[in-house]
Amino acid sequence: MAARARGLTKAYGSGETTVLALDSVDVDIARGRFTAVMGPSGSGKSTLMHCLAGLDTVSAGQVWLDETEITGMRDRELTRLRRDRIGFMFQAFNLLPTLTAAENITLPMDIAGRKPDQKWLDQVIDTLGLRDRLKHRPAQLSGGQQQRVACARALASRPELIFADEPTGNLDSRAGAEVLSFLRDAVDQLDQTVVMVTHDPGAAGHSDLVLFLADGRIVDEMAEPTADLVLERMKRFDPAHKS
Amino acid sequence: MLRATLRSFFAHKGRLLLSAMAIILSVAFVAGSLIFSDTVGRTFDRLFASTSADVQVQPKKDVDEQIPSGITRTVPASLAGRIGKVDGVSKAWVDASVENITIVDSHNKNVGPTSGAPTIATNWYLTDRSPVKLTSGHEPHGAGEALLDKDTADKKKVRIGDSLTVLARPGSFTVRVVGIATFTTTNPGAALVFLDTPTAQTKLLGRADEATAISVEAAKGVDDKVLKQRIATEIGGGYELKTAAEQAKDSAASLGGFLDVIKYVMLGFAGIAVLVGIFLIVNTFSMLIAQRTRELGLLRALGADRRQVQRSVRIEALLLGAIGSTLGLAAGIGLAYGLIALMGTFGMNLSAAEIVIGWGTPVASYLVGVGVTFVAAYLPARRAAQVSPMAALSDAEVAGVGRPLRVRAVVGSVLAAAGAAALAGCAASTKTATSSSLLGLGVVLTLIATVVAGPLLVRPVIRVLGGAFPRVFGSVGRMSQRNALRNPRRTGATASALMVGLALVVGMSVASASMTKSFDQQIDRVLGADYIVQNSNFTPFPEEITGKIRGVEGVGTVVRQRFVPLQLRLPDGRRTDTTAAGYDPQLDDVAHLSYSDGSTAEALASGHVAMDRDYAHDHGLKLGSTVRVAFPGGATAVLTLSALTDMDSSGGPGAEAGMFMGLATAEKYLPDGQDAVVYVNAASGVDQQTLRTALEKALASYPQVKVNNQADYKKIVSDQIAVLLYLVYALLGLAIVIAVLGVVNTLALSVVERTREIGLLRAIGLSRVQLRRMIRLESVVIAVFGALLGLALGMVWGVAMQQVLALQGLKAFAVPWSTVVAVVVGSVVVGLAAAVLPALRASRMNVLTAIAHE
Repeated sequence: MAARARGLTKAYGSGETTVLALDSVDVDIARGRFTAVMGPSGSGKSTLMHCLAGLDTVSAGQVWLDETEITGMRDRELTRLRRDRIGFMFQAFNLLPTLTAAENITLPMDIAGRKPDQKWLDQVIDTLGLRDRLKHRPAQLSGGQQQRVACARALASRPELIFADEPTGNLDSRAGAEVLSFLRDAVDQLDQTVVMVTHDPGAAGHSDLVLFLADGRIVDEMAEPTADLVLERMKRFDPAHKS
Repeated sequence: MLRATLRSFFAHKGRLLLSAMAIILSVAFVAGSLIFSDTVGRTFDRLFASTSADVQVQPKKDVDEQIPSGITRTVPASLAGRIGKVDGVSKAWVDASVENITIVDSHNKNVGPTSGAPTIATNWYLTDRSPVKLTSGHEPHGAGEALLDKDTADKKKVRIGDSLTVLARPGSFTVRVVGIATFTTTNPGAALVFLDTPTAQTKLLGRADEATAISVEAAKGVDDKVLKQRIATEIGGGYELKTAAEQAKDSAASLGGFLDVIKYVMLGFAGIAVLVGIFLIVNTFSMLIAQRTRELGLLRALGADRRQVQRSVRIEALLLGAIGSTLGLAAGIGLAYGLIALMGTFGMNLSAAEIVIGWGTPVASYLVGVGVTFVAAYLPARRAAQVSPMAALSDAEVAGVGRPLRVRAVVGSVLAAAGAAALAGCAASTKTATSSSLLGLGVVLTLIATVVAGPLLVRPVIRVLGGAFPRVFGSVGRMSQRNALRNPRRTGATASALMVGLALVVGMSVASASMTKSFDQQIDRVLGADYIVQNSNFTPFPEEITGKIRGVEGVGTVVRQRFVPLQLRLPDGRRTDTTAAGYDPQLDDVAHLSYSDGSTAEALASGHVAMDRDYAHDHGLKLGSTVRVAFPGGATAVLTLSALTDMDSSGGPGAEAGMFMGLATAEKYLPDGQDAVVYVNAASGVDQQTLRTALEKALASYPQVKVNNQADYKKIVSDQIAVLLYLVYALLGLAIVIAVLGVVNTLALSVVERTREIGLLRAIGLSRVQLRRMIRLESVVIAVFGALLGLALGMVWGVAMQQVLALQGLKAFAVPWSTVVAVVVGSVVVGLAAAVLPALRASRMNVLTAIAHE
């Protein structure tokens, strides 16, 4: 397993007004797979990702990255963990506007003071088709190109796990499809592990396994998903959600 | 709309805090200086008005003594009798009062104030207007008795029965303290010794039949002015008659000079605070508006017109200005109290004074505070009005970043060229007046040019400055360098605040270092004496001291120098009050003077005089010309110009024309002067150190004079220049405090603006330590940039100032490298200090909320 959580609980507020964002979730993220986390808004899917990635603290339960327990780690250790062992892609504002594409890609390693593996870096850059964009600043790149740079950054340090939070949320469908196929390639060809949070059934259709979240619990999962199957499954949430 | 404005103002109050600080500081200095001078002015006006005699008869004012000669002008004491018989005079009495004395206790310690306030010995004549009353002991009777004022007695631990030695011009004498007199009014800081009238006349003035003035009390119902007229008719001309009101005015004027210095120093502080504060306020409002672009766009989209948006920003500025001014006014009152307390430590006891706040104080405070804020917010307000309604909809990058700097480039270049031309003109000019006004113009123009063009210099300079950052500090260094480059306007304005203060101090340091070096060179070149005996503030001392020096074993040549105030009556009819020097004939043994015509012997011959060649030439005097002069007391003389000196600096303030003559000539026309400097050479074969020890031992009971060799003398001169520099350093300190506030402000707002970026960096693994380092480095690079601009500008100013000084004969040029290094190192420290809070704030940010930040 690349990551797992047991009894993962995240509560906001206290007493009467307590809201459970995650309610004793058990989850396993398999290595070398592309896992999608789906659910209606407010289902806790982003919170789950934040807790798995060491961005957020948990109220109860345990989280492991590989065999390392990350719950209870101090800020310094978590920072190092995120830097060295995890890759991130966010919905928007992924890149530092002052740095070039190339500098953005190697930023986590630069921060760590490590030399990037040049062969791997070249492979990532070529796979993502960014070779002729390396000297550009983010402002000079399209939204899709920016997300590809973010993807390259997430891959560059060859992390154990890549978290992508709505990576296609701000893109048109063509650019979105492109980014998704790169994530797919990263898993298939570069042997990476990706966890993607999304509410787009089309995006989830690119994954190997979809976890469905509702009201802070994992309510279902679907292997070998397609966009249509996921959409079907999601429709079943609606009445419950409306009530 | 008003409600939206107020909401926005209070929502941003934290961010306006630092700008408010700058306003508070400027207003505090303005208000403090006004309150202080009003308070002190009123206190002394009251004191003088209540203690002046109805009419006073004083010696005729003729020549203004710019450098004291040590003489005491007198009137005949017998006038008192004649005046007493004038109709309407209740009584007339003799004043015998001198200020140029020194009083020492039995341990040879000076009893007088060390702050520069005078030591006064006067006759004890109590009237209902006397500022003192006898509080213990008895009145002085006879030659050996005296009273001392209580403040001095307490401070110097003198008790009734102790002996004091009064070092007066006619000779020193010892008195026993028989009583203590206490001030019933404000004590202006002087030390007072009272003697009975005959003793004061004989021992202080040297003549029993003279007085320094005759004071008159009018009979009931007689007007001062009428009485003055009657007395004038009785005693004739040749005297100066003053009513009580006129005396009070004179006293206030003489005190006014001292108060004005304090006032101008304080206003200088206020000026610096305003100047630097403007940058801070402009920057704050620019940044707030940049951050609120979308909000303003929304207002515009909802139907607010440009004028309303502009007005809303201006109202915010007015509010800030009003609040800052109010707090500043309060702080100013505190500052005035502080100054009054400080005066107390100098002996000026104002503790009884009531704080006077004239109507001008609040008016000036609000004018400065609100005015400055309003002016500073003018451009940002216009920019706010230009925000288009589209800004509400677009994801626009923060406004103002990409706008071209072309206008700045053009305006900056034009101003810089004009400024450079003015400074070049200043350097080329040979007239001091032209040169200094060109200097002023050039300084102002180049300052504005640098401020305007600063943002243009940000890119090239910071590229170089921070060029090593990526290599030394890795990606953290790279990001900090790029962040500093990100918004050149902001970086430029922030650095400008620091630049102003540093340019000023560097310029002044270059000028003062050059002055010091010039004086050193002159001393080396001109001064030939082994030792110089003088009072540390160049005031004259009794001849008794010169006599002691002559009596010391091993003393060779002794040359006395006296100051001779005189009025020069030039061939073109103009009259100039100046000061000549009088020397003993062996002047060549102790000084190396250079003459273009004539020699020392000719210059010092009886009835002859020497003058600076250039001054003589400019005023139509040649070798052999007759020079008509008048001396204090009315003596006039026709002297022969028999030598022209050719030295870099002859004269100086108060001694234009650089005249000197034989001491015998001086004494003939101005008897009873005192020696100001005594130059001493060791007799042949006498060890200098041995002589020094002997001299110091002989002069131990005269604490007012010091034995200095050439190195000591240089130090005295450079210390006097340094006093000016300390003031500049204090101004700089204030400028830096405000500039640091500016850097803090910029960084803090940048950190807020870059919240998401910081969140991202933290998410992908930037540690808190690294984040703090990034912000510190950005801060340092901005501060060093400001310091370099200031250094460059200050150097240019310093060179130009030195050119002006060169016209006064101060031709040496020196760069104070230690100051330069200190400025650069200091700016790094400033940068680090300014980054502390913003860096802490950034590193405390919650990663998740930062990522989600809109």
